[in-house]
Amino acid sequence: MLQLPEIYAENIQRWLPELLSFSLTTLKIAFVSFLLAVVIGVFFAVCRTSNNYLLRSFAITYIEIARGLPIVVLLYIVYFVPPQLFPELNWRWFSDFTGAVIGLALHGGAILAEVFRSGIEALHKGQREAALTLGMTPAQSMTYIILPQATRIVLPPVANYAIGLLKDTSLCSLIGVNELMNDAKSIAFADYQPMAVFVLVAAIYFAMSYPLSLAVRTMEWRLNISR
Amino acid sequence: MGFWRILDERGWYFLTTLLGGWPETLTVAIGALIFALIFGLVVALLRISRWRILRFPAILYTEVFRGTPALVQLFVIYFGLPDIGFEPSPFQAAIVGLGLNGAAYLSEVYRAGIESIHRGQLEAALSLGMTPARALQYIILPQAIRTMLPPITNFAIVLLKDTSIVFVVGVVEVMALARNLVTETLQSAAVYLIAGALYLCVTLPMARLAARLERQRQAWQ
Repeated sequence: MLQLPEIYAENIQRWLPELLSFSLTTLKIAFVSFLLAVVIGVFFAVCRTSNNYLLRSFAITYIEIARGLPIVVLLYIVYFVPPQLFPELNWRWFSDFTGAVIGLALHGGAILAEVFRSGIEALHKGQREAALTLGMTPAQSMTYIILPQATRIVLPPVANYAIGLLKDTSLCSLIGVNELMNDAKSIAFADYQPMAVFVLVAAIYFAMSYPLSLAVRTMEWRLNISR
Repeated sequence: MGFWRILDERGWYFLTTLLGGWPETLTVAIGALIFALIFGLVVALLRISRWRILRFPAILYTEVFRGTPALVQLFVIYFGLPDIGFEPSPFQAAIVGLGLNGAAYLSEVYRAGIESIHRGQLEAALSLGMTPARALQYIILPQAIRTMLPPITNFAIVLLKDTSIVFVVGVVEVMALARNLVTETLQSAAVYLIAGALYLCVTLPMARLAARLERQRQAWQ
């Protein structure tokens, strides 16, 4: 029978500092790809709601493809395909970390584009028309009228996406990024303690994501009250 | 060698090899779907129970399984369980892992669906002499299914995409075959792009279906 408490008592001093230092990498991947995903998402949400047919179809194509692909497949495509398609370019800067961030951000960008679009569309068209009538440029009406109101609508789904993203960073271990999951694998198989190590890692992921999900719930509750 | 030449010469071989992984991919997806549909309902019923002692484990379960990555859950099941005397096969680990993960998600969908039905419906059914189980079966669930169908379809899409990680526990599905092909031929560009296209062939029509169901649901309301 497995004596988890004893195993932890014996090894935790070795395991925990190492795992925690690698969870910083995990947080770094999540943070950078979140920022990039927001940028991509805003860009494609604007394209998606534009009056220009070409821009709109371009955005729809991107969103459908990036959302239809499994994240793992997207990561593999982003990381392994471009260097082989364009071997004449210099790919030395393209680390597994960069590939992971771009892959996760491309996936998140598609999710966030839809979230932002629903935020923009939830507002009455009259708001924009009123702003334009008052002599604002389309860009001004976006900055001062539409976006501030849309923020309230999109905040909860964006936060939910961030939680999902934090968990999805574990997939970066599959293209070789040295983050929490990858380190866990090497410890688990080096020390022959898969159960103890993977349960510990699950606890670390939980400790990172649960406060976020509690925050989202509070936020959803507050936004509901004030509506 | 150029990418297009590779695609021209080896494309057919890559495509047919990858197609061979679909039975495994679908077995895992459908197995996990059935597992999640059944177990998720059990969790949802515990979750809305009147007794705290039943509610608590259901809440704990959903929080833990939604708060940790599916990849870690698969590792615990496949590599961890042998430590305590169970040795699941790759298929068992994949189906149970994705199934448990999905059940946590679906239990929330079920709960929202059940709670969307007016309480008076349940009271009316009970006052007609139905047992709670019968009221659930004949009155609540048939009505709730309308609200639940779109999110369940979306969940099926997510599940199908998530099967692309079960190669880590040794199921030889599409993604595992793709990785093997790349090891064999080193043509990562062609292989992974074809694999991606194959996934899109299934997920895009499913997304259409989900969107249609959602529109119908809104039309009903």
